[in-house]
Amino acid sequence: MYLYTMDEYISFEQIPFGSDNFAENPEPRCPCVLLLDTSGSMGGMPIDQLNDGVLTFKQELMQDPLAAKRVEVAIVTFGPVTVEADFHTVPNFHPRTLETTGDTPMGAAINLGIEMVSRRKREYKEHGIAYYKPWIILITDGAPTDEWASAALNVREGENARKFAFFAIGVEGANLDILKQISVRAPLKLKGLMFREFFMWLSASMKMVSGKTPGAAINLISPSGWSEL
Amino acid sequence: MMWKAIGYSAAGTAHTAADKGCEDAIRFRSVYGNDGEALVCCASDGAGSTQYGGWAAEFSTSRMVDRISQSVNTPAGVTEAAVYAMVEEIYEELHAEAEYRQADLSEFSCTLLGCCIMDSRSVFFQVGDGAIVRNDGLDFYTAVWWPQNGEYLNTTSFLADDPTFKDLRIAVIHEPVAEVALFTDGLQLLALNMEAGTVHQPFFEDLFRVVRIAENEEEVGILQQKLAEFLESSQVNSRTDDDKTLFLASRLVS
Repeated sequence: MYLYTMDEYISFEQIPFGSDNFAENPEPRCPCVLLLDTSGSMGGMPIDQLNDGVLTFKQELMQDPLAAKRVEVAIVTFGPVTVEADFHTVPNFHPRTLETTGDTPMGAAINLGIEMVSRRKREYKEHGIAYYKPWIILITDGAPTDEWASAALNVREGENARKFAFFAIGVEGANLDILKQISVRAPLKLKGLMFREFFMWLSASMKMVSGKTPGAAINLISPSGWSEL
Repeated sequence: MMWKAIGYSAAGTAHTAADKGCEDAIRFRSVYGNDGEALVCCASDGAGSTQYGGWAAEFSTSRMVDRISQSVNTPAGVTEAAVYAMVEEIYEELHAEAEYRQADLSEFSCTLLGCCIMDSRSVFFQVGDGAIVRNDGLDFYTAVWWPQNGEYLNTTSFLADDPTFKDLRIAVIHEPVAEVALFTDGLQLLALNMEAGTVHQPFFEDLFRVVRIAENEEEVGILQQKLAEFLESSQVNSRTDDDKTLFLASRLVS
């Protein structure tokens, strides 16, 4: 078939097909809270490597245009327990250099992280924003110096109710026995100070978040490369 | 040829990056039956985190289109009960395959959505997300059902979830349908207005405008190729990284 346009014929093959008129929905979000141990024992190389790792995390996510719009990062440091950065999409996430101070109030940090993702989900709902299951990542080189039984209970309840996915990463010196009692998923031990590799893995896993999962499963890339387990 | 139909499944960029192929599947065909030509289509989205989700999507769509095609020429035709029985049969086959491969049935998770459009009667069915859209006769595009998503955008119901099929929806419409589209969840945020709960009209208007003016099989073939290019284009990939399937069919007006 031919269409007559102004003064020339165009063949059917030349008729453009497609649409760039897409619905204007807000980007779905995937909240991610980093619970970072900044107690005294993390001083020196570990905190330097952790700072580098967080920057790598941002850079890796920025390279994926969709992940940059969808992943929202927040940071809680302990101790003392501080909201270092509230939820921001990646371009607006500007991590400051973390310094080490104080003891290890891990229990309070975990409870705060859980509260933060609950609040964020309420905000998404209020604004009609679709979202993915939140991720809470705990990184520590020690053991809690505060009450942590309630945090362990909250992690268990939240995981069972599919409210979030919780991951515990132990740096050299971490009490993995306690981490096992806190995290439903087996805690992973960081090889040396491979924070950079860990955060590259985390960003790669988060880029796959739109993949469908039956039940409570989460799409994960194999943690080989940075994990001892 | 009474129907001009095109359909394609394209791998999402996230799947490509993870070295996974496309786990969406689509099958469609025209079937000549007692009541003229029936258009049969079925699409499926295999769960990305599962081992055999992509296989299950291929298997289920191909099996479903075969079974409906056979059913078109039976005395009873394609009824709600017939579709239910077909889905049940596919569930049993997935179950048997899971036993054979010694895998959990959830490793065969996939959605299923499809239609059989006859002269004056249409049957639609759906488990999970994605949507079937039809022209309501007044050039307004309407979704037969809203996608079934859980709290999270990447959770939905799957065919293998439940042997009682509480999430299976079947509808029979006794009116002629002139245009139908079908898509998987990879296109949901482009084709649906989530807040308003409506089909994004301009998206389907743009696409059907060209499908409507195609006149013969050669031109439909050109559109099939262009649909593949569209689904793999950077404009689509900048909005979704998931596998995506789109089917468009328009009745030939003579």
